[in-house]
Amino acid sequence: MKALVISQRPSDAGELVALAKGFGEPVILAFQESASKVDEVAAYGCRVYRVRSDRPEALYKAAFSLYESLNPKIIVGPSTKNVKDATALLAGSLDIPMVTEVVELSDGGSVLTYKRGFMSERVTMKAEVPYPVIALVNPKIVEPAEKAGRGEVIDLNVGELKVNIVGVRAKELSGVKLEEAEVVIGVGRGFKSKEDLKLAFELAKILNAQVGGTRPIAADLKWLPEDAWIGISGKKITPKLYIAVGVSGAPQHMSGVSGSKVIVAVNKDKSAPIFKQADYGVVADLYKFLPILTSKLREKFPGRA
Amino acid sequence: MGRDIAVLVKASLNPEIVRQVSEGIYDIDYTPLKISDVDRNALEEAARLKGILGGKVYSITVLTWGPSKARDKDLKLAVQEALAKVADEAYVVVDDNVIPGDPIVTSNAIVGVLKSKGLKPTLILAGEASVDESTSQVPGRVAAKLGYSYVGYVRRVLEVREGSVVVERDVEEYVETLEAPLPAVLSVTQEINEPRPPTLIQIRMASRKPLYTLKLSDIGLDVKPKRLIRDMRVITVFRKQVLVEEASMEKAVEKLLEYLEREGVLRV
Repeated sequence: MKALVISQRPSDAGELVALAKGFGEPVILAFQESASKVDEVAAYGCRVYRVRSDRPEALYKAAFSLYESLNPKIIVGPSTKNVKDATALLAGSLDIPMVTEVVELSDGGSVLTYKRGFMSERVTMKAEVPYPVIALVNPKIVEPAEKAGRGEVIDLNVGELKVNIVGVRAKELSGVKLEEAEVVIGVGRGFKSKEDLKLAFELAKILNAQVGGTRPIAADLKWLPEDAWIGISGKKITPKLYIAVGVSGAPQHMSGVSGSKVIVAVNKDKSAPIFKQADYGVVADLYKFLPILTSKLREKFPGRA
Repeated sequence: MGRDIAVLVKASLNPEIVRQVSEGIYDIDYTPLKISDVDRNALEEAARLKGILGGKVYSITVLTWGPSKARDKDLKLAVQEALAKVADEAYVVVDDNVIPGDPIVTSNAIVGVLKSKGLKPTLILAGEASVDESTSQVPGRVAAKLGYSYVGYVRRVLEVREGSVVVERDVEEYVETLEAPLPAVLSVTQEINEPRPPTLIQIRMASRKPLYTLKLSDIGLDVKPKRLIRDMRVITVFRKQVLVEEASMEKAVEKLLEYLEREGVLRV
Protein backbone atom coordinates (compact mmCIF):
# COMPACT_ATOMS: atom_id res chain seq x y z
CA MET A 1 0.00 0.00 0.00
CA LYS A 2 1.29 3.44 -0.94
CA ALA A 3 1.17 6.69 1.03
CA LEU A 4 1.49 9.85 -1.06
CA VAL A 5 3.45 12.73 0.47
CA ILE A 6 2.93 16.25 -0.90
CA SER A 7 6.07 18.26 -0.12
CA GLN A 8 6.00 22.02 -0.68
CA ARG A 9 9.27 22.92 1.08
CA PRO A 10 12.28 20.66 1.66
CA SER A 11 11.91 21.48 5.38
CA ASP A 12 8.50 19.75 5.54
CA ALA A 13 9.59 16.54 3.78
CA GLY A 14 11.24 14.71 6.71
CA GLU A 15 8.24 15.01 9.00
CA LEU A 16 5.75 14.11 6.27
CA VAL A 17 7.75 11.04 5.22
CA ALA A 18 7.91 9.93 8.86
CA LEU A 19 4.12 10.29 9.16
CA ALA A 20 3.44 8.52 5.86
CA LYS A 21 5.50 5.49 6.93
CA GLY A 22 2.83 4.73 9.53
CA PHE A 23 0.37 4.02 6.70
CA GLY A 24 2.30 2.62 3.77
CA GLU A 25 5.29 3.02 1.49
CA PRO A 26 5.92 6.76 1.03
CA VAL A 27 6.03 8.25 -2.47
CA ILE A 28 6.72 11.98 -2.69
CA LEU A 29 5.09 14.57 -4.91
CA ALA A 30 7.42 17.60 -4.88
CA PHE A 31 5.86 20.97 -5.63
CA GLN A 32 6.94 24.63 -5.51
CA GLU A 33 10.18 25.03 -3.45
CA SER A 34 10.53 21.26 -3.06
CA ALA A 35 10.47 20.92 -6.86
CA SER A 36 13.31 23.39 -7.33
CA LYS A 37 15.36 21.83 -4.51
CA VAL A 38 14.41 18.27 -5.38
CA ASP A 39 17.75 16.78 -4.26
CA GLU A 40 16.97 17.64 -0.64
CA VAL A 41 13.60 15.93 -0.94
CA ALA A 42 15.00 12.86 -2.72
CA ALA A 43 17.43 12.33 0.17
CA TYR A 44 14.79 10.40 2.12
CA GLY A 45 15.19 7.51 -0.29
CA CYS A 46 11.64 7.50 -1.66
CA ARG A 47 10.62 7.87 -5.28
CA VAL A 48 9.92 11.54 -6.04
CA TYR A 49 7.48 12.81 -8.65
CA ARG A 50 8.10 16.43 -9.44
CA VAL A 51 5.72 19.09 -10.72
CA ARG A 52 7.65 22.25 -11.58
CA SER A 53 5.01 24.79 -10.67
CA ASP A 54 3.75 26.86 -7.78
CA ARG A 55 0.11 26.78 -8.95
CA PRO A 56 -2.40 24.83 -6.82
CA GLU A 57 -4.15 23.74 -10.00
CA ALA A 58 -0.93 22.10 -11.27
CA LEU A 59 -0.49 20.30 -7.96
CA TYR A 60 -4.10 19.14 -8.15
CA LYS A 61 -3.65 17.70 -11.64
CA ALA A 62 -0.40 15.98 -10.68
CA ALA A 63 -1.90 14.54 -7.49
CA PHE A 64 -4.97 13.37 -9.39
CA SER A 65 -2.90 11.42 -11.94
CA LEU A 66 -0.76 9.90 -9.18
CA TYR A 67 -3.87 8.99 -7.22
CA GLU A 68 -5.14 7.05 -10.21
CA SER A 69 -1.87 5.21 -10.85
CA LEU A 70 -0.71 4.59 -7.25
CA ASN A 71 -4.06 4.16 -5.51
CA PRO A 72 -2.69 5.47 -2.19
CA LYS A 73 -4.43 4.86 1.11
CA ILE A 74 -3.56 8.30 2.37
CA ILE A 75 -2.24 11.60 1.02
CA VAL A 76 -0.36 13.68 3.58
CA GLY A 77 0.81 17.26 3.18
CA PRO A 78 1.29 20.58 4.98
CA SER A 79 -1.72 22.77 5.90
CA THR A 80 -0.69 25.65 3.65
CA LYS A 81 -2.91 27.73 1.37
CA ASN A 82 -1.54 26.33 -1.90
CA VAL A 83 -1.77 22.73 -0.74
CA LYS A 84 -5.24 23.22 0.75
CA ASP A 85 -6.53 24.73 -2.49
CA ALA A 86 -5.07 21.86 -4.52
CA THR A 87 -6.29 19.06 -2.26
CA ALA A 88 -9.77 20.62 -1.90
CA LEU A 89 -10.10 20.19 -5.68
CA LEU A 90 -8.80 16.63 -5.42
CA ALA A 91 -11.11 15.79 -2.50
CA GLY A 92 -14.06 17.21 -4.44
CA SER A 93 -13.42 15.31 -7.64
CA LEU A 94 -12.88 12.01 -5.78
CA ASP A 95 -15.47 12.69 -3.04
CA ILE A 96 -13.03 11.48 -0.39
CA PRO A 97 -12.53 12.92 3.12
CA MET A 98 -10.01 15.70 3.66
CA VAL A 99 -8.86 16.87 7.09
CA THR A 100 -6.61 19.85 7.78
CA GLU A 101 -4.48 21.29 10.61
CA VAL A 102 -4.18 17.79 12.06
CA VAL A 103 -2.04 17.49 15.21
CA GLU A 104 -2.33 13.73 15.78
CA LEU A 105 -3.12 10.90 13.40
CA SER A 106 -3.11 7.12 13.60
CA ASP A 107 -4.24 4.12 11.63
CA GLY A 108 -7.50 2.76 13.03
CA GLY A 109 -7.86 -0.21 10.65
CA SER A 110 -10.37 0.84 8.00
CA VAL A 111 -10.36 4.45 9.20
CA LEU A 112 -7.94 7.28 9.92
CA THR A 113 -8.23 8.50 13.49
CA TYR A 114 -7.16 12.12 13.94
CA LYS A 115 -7.18 15.09 16.25
CA ARG A 116 -7.42 18.77 15.30
CA GLY A 117 -8.42 22.14 16.69
CA PHE A 118 -12.00 23.30 16.44
CA MET A 119 -13.91 26.48 17.36
CA SER A 120 -10.98 28.86 16.78
CA GLU A 121 -8.68 26.39 18.58
CA ARG A 122 -10.70 26.55 21.79
CA VAL A 123 -11.83 22.93 21.46
CA THR A 124 -10.03 19.81 20.24
CA MET A 125 -11.92 17.33 18.12
CA LYS A 126 -11.11 13.64 17.80
CA ALA A 127 -12.77 12.04 14.82
CA GLU A 128 -12.38 9.32 12.21
CA VAL A 129 -12.84 9.14 8.46
CA PRO A 130 -12.66 6.08 6.16
CA TYR A 131 -9.77 5.58 3.72
CA PRO A 132 -8.73 6.80 1.22
CA VAL A 133 -8.19 10.15 2.87
CA ILE A 134 -6.28 13.43 2.49
CA ALA A 135 -4.66 14.54 5.77
CA LEU A 136 -2.95 17.95 5.93
CA VAL A 137 -1.00 18.34 9.14
CA ASN A 138 0.54 21.00 11.32
CA PRO A 139 4.35 21.24 11.44
CA LYS A 140 6.46 19.59 14.14
CA ILE A 141 3.98 16.93 15.21
CA VAL A 142 6.56 14.14 14.65
CA GLU A 143 10.32 13.77 14.46
CA PRO A 144 11.58 13.92 10.86
CA ALA A 145 12.56 10.66 9.14
CA GLU A 146 16.24 9.78 8.73
CA LYS A 147 17.76 10.50 5.34
CA ALA A 148 18.35 7.29 3.41
CA GLY A 149 20.09 7.28 0.04
CA ARG A 150 18.69 8.97 -3.00
CA GLY A 151 15.27 8.30 -4.47
CA GLU A 152 14.58 8.34 -8.19
CA VAL A 153 13.13 11.64 -9.52
CA ILE A 154 10.44 11.61 -12.20
CA ASP A 155 9.12 14.78 -13.82
CA LEU A 156 5.38 15.11 -14.29
CA ASN A 157 3.82 17.20 -17.01
CA VAL A 158 0.37 18.50 -16.16
CA GLY A 159 -0.48 20.29 -19.39
CA GLU A 160 -2.45 23.52 -19.63
CA LEU A 161 -4.01 25.20 -16.63
CA LYS A 162 -7.33 27.05 -16.55
CA VAL A 163 -6.19 29.85 -14.25
CA ASN A 164 -3.47 32.13 -15.66
CA ILE A 165 -0.93 33.94 -13.56
CA VAL A 166 -0.60 37.64 -14.39
CA GLY A 167 1.86 38.70 -11.69
CA VAL A 168 3.34 38.05 -8.26
CA ARG A 169 4.49 40.53 -5.66
CA ALA A 170 6.06 39.97 -2.27
CA LYS A 171 4.21 41.18 0.78
CA GLU A 172 5.72 43.90 2.85
CA LEU A 173 7.22 41.88 5.65
CA SER A 174 9.22 42.80 8.72
CA GLY A 175 11.18 39.57 8.69
CA VAL A 176 10.75 39.21 12.45
CA LYS A 177 10.46 35.65 13.60
CA LEU A 178 7.76 35.99 16.24
CA GLU A 179 7.57 32.20 16.53
CA GLU A 180 11.16 32.07 17.75
CA ALA A 181 11.10 35.08 20.12
CA GLU A 182 11.44 34.55 23.89
CA VAL A 183 9.54 37.73 24.71
CA VAL A 184 6.74 39.13 22.55
CA ILE A 185 4.77 42.33 22.97
CA GLY A 186 1.36 42.26 21.32
CA VAL A 187 -0.39 45.50 20.45
CA GLY A 188 -4.12 45.94 19.95
CA ARG A 189 -6.72 48.59 19.31
CA GLY A 190 -5.96 50.27 22.65
CA PHE A 191 -3.31 52.17 20.68
CA LYS A 192 -4.86 55.22 19.08
CA SER A 193 -2.38 55.79 16.25
CA LYS A 194 0.48 54.13 14.42
CA GLU A 195 2.94 56.64 15.91
CA ASP A 196 1.93 55.57 19.42
CA LEU A 197 3.29 52.08 18.76
CA LYS A 198 6.72 53.51 19.56
CA LEU A 199 5.76 53.03 23.23
CA ALA A 200 5.65 49.27 22.55
CA PHE A 201 8.87 49.32 20.52
CA GLU A 202 10.75 51.15 23.29
CA LEU A 203 9.61 48.54 25.80
CA ALA A 204 10.57 45.82 23.33
CA LYS A 205 14.10 47.18 23.04
CA ILE A 206 14.80 46.95 26.76
CA LEU A 207 13.26 43.44 26.98
CA ASN A 208 14.94 42.12 23.82
CA ALA A 209 11.40 41.46 22.63
CA GLN A 210 9.66 41.31 19.24
CA VAL A 211 6.49 43.26 18.54
CA GLY A 212 3.39 41.69 17.00
CA GLY A 213 -0.23 42.71 16.78
CA THR A 214 -3.85 41.69 16.53
CA ARG A 215 -5.69 41.37 13.24
CA PRO A 216 -6.98 44.98 13.14
CA ILE A 217 -3.47 46.35 13.74
CA ALA A 218 -1.49 44.14 11.37
CA ALA A 219 -3.96 43.06 8.69
CA ASP A 220 -6.61 45.76 8.50
CA LEU A 221 -4.94 49.03 9.57
CA LYS A 222 -1.51 47.81 8.43
CA TRP A 223 0.25 49.63 11.28
CA LEU A 224 2.54 46.59 11.43
CA PRO A 225 3.74 44.35 8.58
CA GLU A 226 1.48 41.39 7.86
CA ASP A 227 3.91 38.83 9.26
CA ALA A 228 3.58 40.51 12.66
CA TRP A 229 -0.05 39.43 12.91
CA ILE A 230 -0.62 37.09 15.86
CA GLY A 231 -3.73 34.92 15.88
CA ILE A 232 -5.47 31.94 14.40
CA SER A 233 -4.94 33.05 10.79
CA GLY A 234 -1.65 34.77 11.60
CA LYS A 235 1.33 33.64 13.68
CA LYS A 236 1.10 31.20 16.57
CA ILE A 237 3.68 32.10 19.20
CA THR A 238 5.19 30.30 22.18
CA PRO A 239 7.37 32.81 24.06
CA LYS A 240 8.34 32.68 27.72
CA LEU A 241 6.65 36.02 28.21
CA TYR A 242 3.80 37.55 26.21
CA ILE A 243 2.76 41.10 27.07
CA ALA A 244 -0.57 42.07 25.50
CA VAL A 245 -1.07 45.82 25.48
CA GLY A 246 -4.44 47.31 24.59
CA VAL A 247 -5.61 43.88 23.43
CA SER A 248 -9.20 42.92 24.29
CA GLY A 249 -8.69 39.14 24.13
CA ALA A 250 -10.83 37.93 21.19
CA PRO A 251 -10.61 34.12 20.77
CA GLN A 252 -9.10 34.49 17.29
CA HIS A 253 -6.15 36.33 18.83
CA MET A 254 -5.83 34.34 22.04
CA SER A 255 -5.60 31.01 20.21
CA GLY A 256 -2.37 32.33 18.69
CA VAL A 257 -0.77 33.01 22.08
CA SER A 258 -2.08 30.10 24.16
CA GLY A 259 1.33 28.44 24.08
CA SER A 260 2.99 31.32 25.98
CA LYS A 261 4.48 30.47 29.36
CA VAL A 262 3.42 33.68 31.09
CA ILE A 263 0.81 36.10 29.76
CA VAL A 264 0.63 39.71 30.95
CA ALA A 265 -2.26 41.94 29.93
CA VAL A 266 -2.38 45.72 30.15
CA ASN A 267 -5.82 47.17 29.51
CA LYS A 268 -7.74 50.09 30.96
CA ASP A 269 -11.05 48.22 30.68
CA LYS A 270 -11.34 46.00 33.75
CA SER A 271 -14.04 43.90 32.06
CA ALA A 272 -11.84 43.07 29.01
CA PRO A 273 -11.97 39.28 28.43
CA ILE A 274 -8.18 39.11 28.26
CA PHE A 275 -7.88 39.41 32.04
CA LYS A 276 -9.47 35.95 32.39
CA GLN A 277 -6.85 34.54 30.02
CA ALA A 278 -3.79 36.21 31.51
CA ASP A 279 -1.49 35.33 34.40
CA TYR A 280 -1.00 38.95 35.38
CA GLY A 281 -3.43 41.68 34.42
CA VAL A 282 -2.74 45.35 34.92
CA VAL A 283 -5.78 47.60 34.85
CA ALA A 284 -4.20 50.78 33.54
CA ASP A 285 -4.10 53.27 30.72
CA LEU A 286 -1.30 52.02 28.48
CA TYR A 287 -0.25 55.59 27.69
CA LYS A 288 0.55 56.15 31.37
CA PHE A 289 1.73 52.65 32.23
CA LEU A 290 4.14 51.78 29.42
CA PRO A 291 6.53 54.78 29.77
CA ILE A 292 6.95 54.05 33.49
CA LEU A 293 7.42 50.32 32.91
CA THR A 294 10.07 51.06 30.27
CA SER A 295 11.97 53.52 32.47
CA LYS A 296 11.92 51.16 35.48
CA LEU A 297 13.30 48.39 33.29
CA ARG A 298 16.04 50.73 32.05
CA GLU A 299 17.07 51.26 35.67
CA LYS A 300 17.00 47.52 36.28
CA PHE A 301 18.97 46.61 33.17
CA PRO A 302 21.33 49.53 32.59
CA GLY A 303 23.43 47.41 30.24
CA ARG A 304 20.64 47.21 27.69
CA ALA A 305 19.55 49.88 25.22
CA MET B 1 -22.02 34.48 -20.22
CA GLY B 2 -24.31 34.10 -17.24
CA ARG B 3 -24.66 37.05 -14.91
CA ASP B 4 -25.84 35.41 -11.68
CA ILE B 5 -23.87 35.05 -8.46
CA ALA B 6 -24.27 32.36 -5.80
CA VAL B 7 -22.99 33.01 -2.28
CA LEU B 8 -22.29 30.13 0.11
CA VAL B 9 -23.37 31.06 3.62
CA LYS B 10 -22.72 28.89 6.65
CA ALA B 11 -24.53 28.96 9.97
CA SER B 12 -21.45 28.18 12.07
CA LEU B 13 -21.08 27.32 15.72
CA ASN B 14 -20.21 30.54 17.54
CA PRO B 15 -16.61 30.15 18.79
CA GLU B 16 -17.05 32.94 21.30
CA ILE B 17 -19.43 30.76 23.28
CA VAL B 18 -17.69 27.56 24.34
CA ARG B 19 -19.39 25.68 27.15
CA GLN B 20 -18.52 22.45 28.88
CA VAL B 21 -20.99 19.77 29.86
CA SER B 22 -18.70 18.11 32.39
CA GLU B 23 -14.97 17.50 32.81
CA GLY B 24 -14.04 19.46 29.73
CA ILE B 25 -16.50 17.79 27.35
CA TYR B 26 -17.54 20.41 24.81
CA ASP B 27 -21.25 21.13 24.75
CA ILE B 28 -22.11 21.40 21.07
CA ASP B 29 -25.89 21.22 21.48
CA TYR B 30 -26.08 24.45 23.43
CA THR B 31 -23.64 26.41 21.31
CA PRO B 32 -25.60 28.92 19.24
CA LEU B 33 -25.08 29.23 15.49
CA LYS B 34 -24.26 32.47 13.75
CA ILE B 35 -23.34 33.50 10.23
CA SER B 36 -19.66 32.69 9.71
CA ASP B 37 -17.72 35.98 9.86
CA VAL B 38 -15.95 35.80 6.49
CA ASP B 39 -19.24 34.96 4.75
CA ARG B 40 -20.21 38.56 5.45
CA ASN B 41 -17.28 39.64 3.27
CA ALA B 42 -18.50 37.28 0.53
CA LEU B 43 -21.98 38.84 0.72
CA GLU B 44 -20.55 42.37 0.61
CA GLU B 45 -18.46 41.46 -2.45
CA ALA B 46 -21.52 39.89 -4.08
CA ALA B 47 -23.40 43.17 -3.58
CA ARG B 48 -20.60 45.07 -5.30
CA LEU B 49 -20.27 42.60 -8.18
CA LYS B 50 -24.04 42.42 -8.66
CA GLY B 51 -23.81 46.09 -9.59
CA ILE B 52 -21.33 45.16 -12.32
CA LEU B 53 -22.85 41.90 -13.56
CA GLY B 54 -26.49 42.93 -13.20
CA GLY B 55 -27.83 39.38 -12.67
CA LYS B 56 -29.50 37.66 -9.74
CA VAL B 57 -27.86 36.66 -6.47
CA TYR B 58 -28.85 33.55 -4.53
CA SER B 59 -27.51 32.31 -1.24
CA ILE B 60 -27.05 28.62 -0.48
CA THR B 61 -26.83 27.28 3.06
CA VAL B 62 -26.48 23.69 4.25
CA LEU B 63 -27.18 23.00 7.92
CA THR B 64 -24.24 21.11 9.46
CA TRP B 65 -25.14 21.14 13.15
CA GLY B 66 -28.38 19.85 14.59
CA PRO B 67 -30.86 18.92 15.70
CA SER B 68 -32.62 21.03 13.08
CA LYS B 69 -35.57 21.92 15.32
CA ALA B 70 -33.29 23.52 17.89
CA ARG B 71 -31.33 25.36 15.19
CA ASP B 72 -34.24 26.87 13.31
CA LYS B 73 -34.04 30.37 14.80
CA ASP B 74 -30.25 30.78 14.43
CA LEU B 75 -30.34 29.34 10.91
CA LYS B 76 -33.11 31.76 9.84
CA LEU B 77 -31.14 34.72 11.24
CA ALA B 78 -28.07 33.81 9.18
CA VAL B 79 -30.12 33.31 5.99
CA GLN B 80 -32.13 36.49 6.58
CA GLU B 81 -28.87 38.41 6.73
CA ALA B 82 -27.93 37.08 3.29
CA LEU B 83 -31.35 38.03 1.93
CA ALA B 84 -31.24 41.47 3.52
CA LYS B 85 -27.73 42.16 2.33
CA VAL B 86 -27.89 41.06 -1.29
CA ALA B 87 -29.58 37.75 -2.12
CA ASP B 88 -32.75 37.73 -4.24
CA GLU B 89 -33.57 34.25 -3.03
CA ALA B 90 -32.19 31.80 -0.51
CA TYR B 91 -31.83 28.01 -0.65
CA VAL B 92 -31.42 26.15 2.62
CA VAL B 93 -30.76 22.42 2.89
CA VAL B 94 -31.93 21.01 6.22
CA ASP B 95 -31.94 17.25 6.68
CA ASP B 96 -31.58 15.51 10.03
CA ASN B 97 -30.38 12.37 8.21
CA VAL B 98 -27.05 14.02 7.47
CA ILE B 99 -26.48 15.88 10.74
CA PRO B 100 -23.82 16.45 11.94
CA GLY B 101 -22.65 16.98 8.40
CA ASP B 102 -19.18 17.16 6.90
CA PRO B 103 -17.59 18.85 3.88
CA ILE B 104 -18.62 15.92 1.65
CA VAL B 105 -22.30 16.39 2.51
CA THR B 106 -22.11 20.18 2.30
CA SER B 107 -20.41 20.32 -1.09
CA ASN B 108 -22.68 17.67 -2.60
CA ALA B 109 -25.76 19.44 -1.27
CA ILE B 110 -24.63 22.80 -2.71
CA VAL B 111 -24.05 21.23 -6.11
CA GLY B 112 -27.35 19.36 -5.76
CA VAL B 113 -29.26 22.61 -5.20
CA LEU B 114 -27.67 24.26 -8.23
CA LYS B 115 -28.28 21.31 -10.54
CA SER B 116 -31.81 20.43 -9.41
CA LYS B 117 -32.97 24.05 -9.59
CA GLY B 118 -31.27 24.69 -12.92
CA LEU B 119 -29.15 27.50 -11.44
CA LYS B 120 -26.04 28.41 -13.42
CA PRO B 121 -24.16 31.13 -11.56
CA THR B 122 -21.20 32.62 -13.36
CA LEU B 123 -19.55 33.31 -9.98
CA ILE B 124 -19.77 31.41 -6.72
CA LEU B 125 -18.44 33.34 -3.72
CA ALA B 126 -17.62 31.91 -0.29
CA GLY B 127 -15.62 32.81 2.81
CA GLU B 128 -12.05 31.47 2.98
CA ALA B 129 -12.92 29.41 6.06
CA SER B 130 -15.78 28.92 8.49
CA VAL B 131 -15.29 30.13 12.06
CA ASP B 132 -16.10 26.77 13.60
CA GLU B 133 -14.27 24.13 11.54
CA SER B 134 -12.00 26.32 9.47
CA THR B 135 -11.03 23.64 6.93
CA SER B 136 -11.21 25.84 3.78
CA GLN B 137 -12.26 22.99 1.51
CA VAL B 138 -15.93 23.36 0.54
CA PRO B 139 -15.39 26.04 -2.17
CA GLY B 140 -12.70 23.93 -3.89
CA ARG B 141 -14.82 20.79 -3.70
CA VAL B 142 -17.76 22.63 -5.28
CA ALA B 143 -15.53 23.97 -8.07
CA ALA B 144 -14.19 20.49 -8.86
CA LYS B 145 -17.66 18.96 -8.96
CA LEU B 146 -19.05 21.66 -11.25
CA GLY B 147 -15.93 21.91 -13.43
CA TYR B 148 -15.62 25.62 -12.57
CA SER B 149 -12.24 27.31 -12.23
CA TYR B 150 -11.19 27.94 -8.64
CA VAL B 151 -9.20 30.56 -6.79
CA GLY B 152 -8.99 30.48 -3.00
CA TYR B 153 -7.99 33.30 -0.62
CA VAL B 154 -9.01 36.16 -2.92
CA ARG B 155 -8.26 39.51 -1.32
CA ARG B 156 -9.37 41.69 -4.24
CA VAL B 157 -11.52 41.28 -7.32
CA LEU B 158 -9.80 43.64 -9.73
CA GLU B 159 -11.92 43.22 -12.83
CA VAL B 160 -14.76 41.18 -14.23
CA ARG B 161 -14.17 40.70 -17.96
CA GLU B 162 -16.30 39.00 -20.58
CA GLY B 163 -15.48 35.37 -19.83
CA SER B 164 -12.95 35.84 -17.02
CA VAL B 165 -12.29 37.45 -13.67
CA VAL B 166 -9.03 39.06 -12.54
CA VAL B 167 -8.24 38.70 -8.85
CA GLU B 168 -5.51 39.08 -6.25
CA ARG B 169 -4.84 35.92 -4.24
CA ASP B 170 -3.24 35.98 -0.82
CA VAL B 171 -0.59 33.31 -0.27
CA GLU B 172 1.48 33.22 2.92
CA GLU B 173 4.46 35.35 1.81
CA TYR B 174 3.25 36.83 -1.47
CA VAL B 175 0.26 38.05 -3.44
CA GLU B 176 -0.58 36.72 -6.90
CA THR B 177 -2.62 38.38 -9.61
CA LEU B 178 -4.58 35.76 -11.52
CA GLU B 179 -7.02 35.58 -14.38
CA ALA B 180 -9.58 32.82 -13.94
CA PRO B 181 -12.02 31.85 -16.68
CA LEU B 182 -15.73 32.08 -15.85
CA PRO B 183 -17.64 30.38 -14.43
CA ALA B 184 -15.49 30.44 -11.32
CA VAL B 185 -15.59 29.73 -7.59
CA LEU B 186 -13.76 32.28 -5.42
CA SER B 187 -13.16 32.08 -1.69
CA VAL B 188 -12.53 35.51 -0.18
CA THR B 189 -10.50 36.77 2.79
CA GLN B 190 -11.50 39.47 5.28
CA GLU B 191 -9.19 41.96 3.58
CA ILE B 192 -11.42 42.11 0.49
CA ASN B 193 -13.85 44.70 1.89
CA GLU B 194 -15.41 46.17 5.00
CA PRO B 195 -18.82 44.49 5.36
CA ARG B 196 -21.62 46.92 6.14
CA PRO B 197 -24.60 45.62 8.08
CA PRO B 198 -27.87 45.59 6.11
CA THR B 199 -30.06 48.66 6.49
CA LEU B 200 -33.47 48.57 8.19
CA ILE B 201 -35.20 48.82 4.82
CA GLN B 202 -33.12 45.91 3.50
CA ILE B 203 -34.01 43.85 6.57
CA ARG B 204 -37.70 44.58 6.09
CA MET B 205 -37.50 43.69 2.38
CA ALA B 206 -35.76 40.41 3.20
CA SER B 207 -38.85 38.86 4.75
CA ARG B 208 -40.67 39.17 1.42
CA LYS B 209 -37.98 37.40 -0.59
CA PRO B 210 -38.31 33.68 -1.36
CA LEU B 211 -36.62 31.24 0.99
CA TYR B 212 -36.65 27.60 -0.12
CA THR B 213 -36.04 24.96 2.52
CA LEU B 214 -35.07 21.62 0.99
CA LYS B 215 -34.31 18.08 2.10
CA LEU B 216 -31.73 15.96 0.32
CA SER B 217 -34.52 13.95 -1.32
CA ASP B 218 -35.91 17.21 -2.78
CA ILE B 219 -32.70 17.69 -4.71
CA GLY B 220 -32.40 14.02 -5.64
CA LEU B 221 -29.34 13.41 -3.51
CA ASP B 222 -28.25 10.38 -1.54
CA VAL B 223 -25.09 11.15 0.37
CA LYS B 224 -23.94 10.31 3.89
CA PRO B 225 -21.37 12.08 6.05
CA LYS B 226 -18.12 10.11 6.24
CA ARG B 227 -16.77 11.76 9.35
CA LEU B 228 -17.54 10.32 12.74
CA ILE B 229 -16.85 12.65 15.67
CA ARG B 230 -15.55 10.69 18.65
CA ASP B 231 -14.75 13.30 21.24
CA MET B 232 -14.68 17.08 21.67
CA ARG B 233 -12.86 18.69 24.56
CA VAL B 234 -12.55 22.26 25.69
CA ILE B 235 -8.91 23.30 25.86
CA THR B 236 -8.33 24.61 29.32
CA VAL B 237 -5.07 26.41 29.92
CA PHE B 238 -4.66 27.39 33.52
CA ARG B 239 -3.84 31.06 33.92
CA LYS B 240 -3.23 32.68 37.28
CA GLN B 241 -5.48 35.67 36.61
CA VAL B 242 -3.74 37.89 39.17
CA LEU B 243 -5.06 41.43 38.84
CA VAL B 244 -2.91 44.48 39.52
CA GLU B 245 -5.03 47.52 40.28
CA GLU B 246 -3.16 50.49 41.69
CA ALA B 247 -3.95 54.18 41.63
CA SER B 248 -0.23 54.86 41.35
CA MET B 249 1.36 53.74 38.09
CA GLU B 250 4.77 53.38 39.80
CA LYS B 251 3.24 50.96 42.27
CA ALA B 252 1.55 48.99 39.50
CA VAL B 253 4.83 48.72 37.61
CA GLU B 254 6.72 47.61 40.74
CA LYS B 255 4.13 44.94 41.51
CA LEU B 256 4.17 43.59 37.98
CA LEU B 257 7.97 43.46 37.89
CA GLU B 258 8.00 41.63 41.20
CA TYR B 259 5.66 38.95 39.79
CA LEU B 260 7.69 38.63 36.62
CA GLU B 261 10.97 38.33 38.57
CA ARG B 262 9.42 35.52 40.57
CA GLU B 263 8.36 33.77 37.35
CA GLY B 264 11.92 34.08 36.10
CA VAL B 265 10.85 35.48 32.73
CA LEU B 266 12.54 38.88 32.89
CA ARG B 267 16.16 37.91 32.37
CA VAL B 268 16.04 36.41 28.93
